[in-house]
Amino acid sequence: MLDLTQRQWVKHAVVHPVEGFEDMRWKKSGSLKISLLILVLLFFAQIAHSRLYGFQFGMPNDKTFSIVPYFVRSFVLFGAWVVGNWAVCTLLDGEGTARNICIYSSYALIPYIVQLFVNVGLSHILIQDEAVFMQAVTIIGTAWSVLLMFNAIRSVHQYSALKTFAAIALTIAAMLIMLFLLVLFLSLIQQVWIFVSTVYTEIFYRTRT
Amino acid sequence: MRKILKKLLSAAVSLVLAGASMTSGTVRAASPDETYNYDIWGEAIPSQAGYVPDRAVSGKDLGVGSFDDPNDIFLAGDDTFYIADTKNDRIVTADSKLSHSQGIYQTFTMPDGSETELSMPKGVYVSDYTGYIYIADSENGRVLVARKDSTVVLEVKMPQSELYTAPTFKPQKVIADKAGNIYVALGNITTGSAMFSPKGEFMGFYGANRVQPTAEIIGSFIRRLFLTEEKRLRRTRSVPTGITGFDIDGDFIYTCTASSTQKTDTVKKLNAAGKNIFAEKKISFGDNRPMYDASKNILMEPAITDIDISADGCINCLDYTTGRVFQYDDECGLLFITGAKSDQLGGFTAPAAVESFGNCLYVVDSAKDTITVFRETAFGAAVHKANSLYNAGYYEEALEPWYEVLRHDGNYRRANIGVASALLRKGDYKGAMKYAKLAGSPDIYNKAFEGYRREFIRSHFTAIILTVTGISAAAVILHRRKKRRTSRKEK
Repeated sequence: MLDLTQRQWVKHAVVHPVEGFEDMRWKKSGSLKISLLILVLLFFAQIAHSRLYGFQFGMPNDKTFSIVPYFVRSFVLFGAWVVGNWAVCTLLDGEGTARNICIYSSYALIPYIVQLFVNVGLSHILIQDEAVFMQAVTIIGTAWSVLLMFNAIRSVHQYSALKTFAAIALTIAAMLIMLFLLVLFLSLIQQVWIFVSTVYTEIFYRTRT
Repeated sequence: MRKILKKLLSAAVSLVLAGASMTSGTVRAASPDETYNYDIWGEAIPSQAGYVPDRAVSGKDLGVGSFDDPNDIFLAGDDTFYIADTKNDRIVTADSKLSHSQGIYQTFTMPDGSETELSMPKGVYVSDYTGYIYIADSENGRVLVARKDSTVVLEVKMPQSELYTAPTFKPQKVIADKAGNIYVALGNITTGSAMFSPKGEFMGFYGANRVQPTAEIIGSFIRRLFLTEEKRLRRTRSVPTGITGFDIDGDFIYTCTASSTQKTDTVKKLNAAGKNIFAEKKISFGDNRPMYDASKNILMEPAITDIDISADGCINCLDYTTGRVFQYDDECGLLFITGAKSDQLGGFTAPAAVESFGNCLYVVDSAKDTITVFRETAFGAAVHKANSLYNAGYYEEALEPWYEVLRHDGNYRRANIGVASALLRKGDYKGAMKYAKLAGSPDIYNKAFEGYRREFIRSHFTAIILTVTGISAAAVILHRRKKRRTSRKEK
């Protein structure tokens, strides 16, 4: 029963929102490689969604394009999610390892990524009056992903539904704290760097004369 | 070695030739500043000149001695220029070519027979309907309404009304409407321009500016709620700035306000009820992003000091800070930017007034004491022709002129919009899509794409149906075969 290859597991997890991740956990399945591939696809999906849209739905300003926001919105945000969830759920008797959290969460993102690509395609076929179809695709894809994410966290840690809600809320809080600390740390580093460079310049000029 | 030398030599020769052909082949406009326009993102991009400076006319050229601080110029309906030569206390008239003066108004005969002289006249207006000359005689504190034979019809003095609370009455600019009502811009009065009946009775104020709700003003309003009456009186009041200049075009009065701090209502189009028609347009007149002058460490905020409506409905706004004339069409679309702050021909030191006639623009500089004449270029003529056709709704007739504009300046956004609209109207959807993309107009693109898609489906209907049915049939067959195989395996 359920002797699937890693690729078949991806399909199984996505089309069985309730039981899929439980089965995966039971069979100790899931591939980190596929998980990373999904993340890369998320990165490109977000770029495509804001750059390759049909012209009738607005136009991007190519002069102000920067890769950094897309990088933050995919890799950094997902990394913060995994680390935050791992940190919170270790304290809350969760059974998931960081590897499993990463795999399960990334599998749960697939409908969202597919929705982005589908919308890019649709935007070249539809006109402004028919944008409601694209909205429907967005809503279905996002809702599906949210449902999957909930079940992924529930089964990776073997939580009850209520505890999963609490864990997700705490994870989001942990992510915010982490990002805040990151910004604080960066600005601090910057100031330390300015101090060091000033001292260096000062000494350099004094010793020269 | 010889080969390399030969190559170098031929490269040098071709470079020189290219340079020579560039200087001789393209006629470069003799403008002291780089001409530019704004793209859809609001960034300045190089553009062709719509107007080039032709010559500067001084008082001596007109044969009346040099001007001193001229402040206003007005073209009357009989093609005569009236120039307010402020510090010489006179009004100079000149023919439409500005070649010689046709007379000077300095003294006027009052109705009771006495003589009166002008003192620092700052504004002049001649009505086509009444035929009178209206002079903003600022130091005398009056508006003179006179016939062209120098006899005064009416003298409007400081109104003795409860509504008029200002201590002084110094008219800066004056206009009159069809009915003969007189509007006076008073510079320091914040409640609008003073309006007088044809008989000189004060009728109230007209067209006041609004206060821009900035964070500072809202904050001070909230703070004001908690202050005592005494403190309240000592605080600075937030009042709008007064009107600087105006022009009248048919039933509409256009006002402008030169203020470096105020952003709203710098240019207004007022109807008879005093309502601003441009209020909903959310357009900032003048430069989008004020230029920073590093040598003086100032931000050159636009200050529209005079406004003029040309015969074809274009709005010319004169910016005092940068010395530029911003020409808009009647829908407030920016057409050209002309002029600069410089000592060369076509540059200004203290631009004071702008007027238009035919295909020329006239700018009065009150420090250089000259009138600079700008002539429309071939590019400017093409844009004006195409734009007036386009705004009147003749999209297809405007197509050729717009192509002509694009031959001069491929970046000109209005031309791309014009071509896209015309092609859309003609049913050339693919071309319309191309130009809509160039113009950066998703809405036109949307309409063109709708038509293109409809045509595509109509012409390829059988092919589309065949591919769809073929793909779905193949998918069903493959799926069935797969199922059979797995079920066999399980057995």
